[in-house]
Amino acid sequence: MENNILVCEHITMKFGGLVALNDVSLNVTKSSITGLIGPNGAGKTTMFNVITCNLKPTLGNIFFEGKNITGFKPYKIVPLGMARTFQNIRLFENLTVLENIMIGFAHKVKYRLFEPILKTPKFLNQEKEIKIKAFELLEKVNLKEKAYLKATGLSYGEQRKVEIARALATSPKLLLLDEPAAGMNPSEKIALMYFIKEIKDSFNLTILLIEHDMKFVMGICQKIYVLDYGAKIAEGTPEEIQKNPKVIAAYLGEANVKG
Amino acid sequence: MKRNTILTILSIILLFVFLYYASHHFSRYTIIILNNIAITMILAVSYNLINGITGQFSLAPNGFAAVGAYTAALLSLTPAQKQAMFIIDPIMPFLGSIHLPFLAALIVAGLVTAFFGFILGFPVFRTRGDYLAIVTLGFGIVIDIVANNAITITNGPLGLKGISNYTNVWWSYGWLVFTIFVVMSIINSNYGRAMKAIRDDEDAAVAMGINTFKMKMIAFVVGAFFQGVAGGLLAHLITTISPTLFTFFLTFNLLVIIVMGGLGSITGTVIATIVIVWGSELLRVFDQPMHIFGITTPGIPGLRMIIFALLLILTMLFAREGIMGKKEFSWDWLFNAIKGGIKNGK
Repeated sequence: MENNILVCEHITMKFGGLVALNDVSLNVTKSSITGLIGPNGAGKTTMFNVITCNLKPTLGNIFFEGKNITGFKPYKIVPLGMARTFQNIRLFENLTVLENIMIGFAHKVKYRLFEPILKTPKFLNQEKEIKIKAFELLEKVNLKEKAYLKATGLSYGEQRKVEIARALATSPKLLLLDEPAAGMNPSEKIALMYFIKEIKDSFNLTILLIEHDMKFVMGICQKIYVLDYGAKIAEGTPEEIQKNPKVIAAYLGEANVKG
Repeated sequence: MKRNTILTILSIILLFVFLYYASHHFSRYTIIILNNIAITMILAVSYNLINGITGQFSLAPNGFAAVGAYTAALLSLTPAQKQAMFIIDPIMPFLGSIHLPFLAALIVAGLVTAFFGFILGFPVFRTRGDYLAIVTLGFGIVIDIVANNAITITNGPLGLKGISNYTNVWWSYGWLVFTIFVVMSIINSNYGRAMKAIRDDEDAAVAMGINTFKMKMIAFVVGAFFQGVAGGLLAHLITTISPTLFTFFLTFNLLVIIVMGGLGSITGTVIATIVIVWGSELLRVFDQPMHIFGITTPGIPGLRMIIFALLLILTMLFAREGIMGKKEFSWDWLFNAIKGGIKNGK
């Protein structure tokens, strides 16, 4: 139990009559890469929204490092050490790459509103510090020379990296990636796979990711959860999942299993 | 960094030297326009903080300016003046006896308006969407009705008269410089970055741990403070205020200014205010009879507004994001442009 950074107990999420998640339990082991897969509409992103407190589950509890965070305000879980990216990249379009990263440090800023007006040393020092840290982070993801470009001026793969770097700037313990490889070609996907493994080690992270691409998930995850129609149908190592008839049925249909 | 600060201070000094010259040599009419520019600019810059920087569509400035104007005027009028003026119903005893110097009246006006902003913002920013526009539009209407009917406070439709003409170029431009300084300081801090993040993508901002409610409140309440002060300055410039002065048209004008200057650009707002306030004065020639190539046209009142509208449409056609877009003028930009120009020249 204490080895699990995230524990979701019997999560049920109903939108009116629609049951988006039905009694889903899920554990994420510290320093692991865990995958959450399933066909379209299985409830993967809903699960993410529940974990990040954007949605309050109808039933069930979420524990982050042993602390019950169910019903927390979503911005309050970031200081606890949880950060996420979005399925469709959501950068701050009118800000530069550097400013995007600096936003990630926003919740650590301690100075008060009057301090930028009076230009107190505390304000000046913290701003300087944030800028230096943001540059360090950009250097780690090889985007330092793009720091002063508008975020939208970057290629798709680079934007994805900036989004991940922005999440890293919040210094998370658990990073949730929502379909990081979506819309990438095979070579970009491989590069991303190495990138995720690399940041996991260098930032000492635990990663939970949603992905459609089976090769990607099988290549990177130690444990996989499979959702279908809002219910958990399987969990296990990639090898176990690959052989699980329920999973094959969910992805390929019943007839193929019999045939 | 150092060079830019020096240049900024120098240009502020230059502005005040110009104002000194203006206040001694220019006509009264020009001085009033100069004051008008400054007050409108205070309103527009603080309005841009919530609309342009934070991306929350507010329609509050006319209501806020009204609150500020009435508060400041009631505080700076002498008890004797107030007693003589309130002929329908006597003024509330507390308001009747209070009397403050101009600066204190302005600051209190700002604080009272900020308090109104807080009361308005508190329920609205708990939700998302365009509720702010509806609530603030309603606020303007409520203020108008209150100003007309709360006779023991506002003297009803008669308004307040004989307000001392305290506002001069020093007061209005002093407050303008202070407003721009404060707003720019906030924008160039973590607070401003967070506000821009909310404008660009609120969900992502929340996912970065930003307390969006707090940031929106800060932008709205700080804006309200300065709008209240601007209302107070306006009251002491024209010396007579009545409910008709603060109709929705005031907000509409400011909206035109911030959109034309560029939503989210303070320097754009500065330029657009000068262009629009001064420009609409220059265009007055079109209202008068004109002689063009020997043909005399009769004076058509309102023609300048048509030309004004045409100019606005043209600006929006050729600069869709406004004059400055979301960019800001900076000394670095100017120096780079000059350097670039020299290089190209060689």
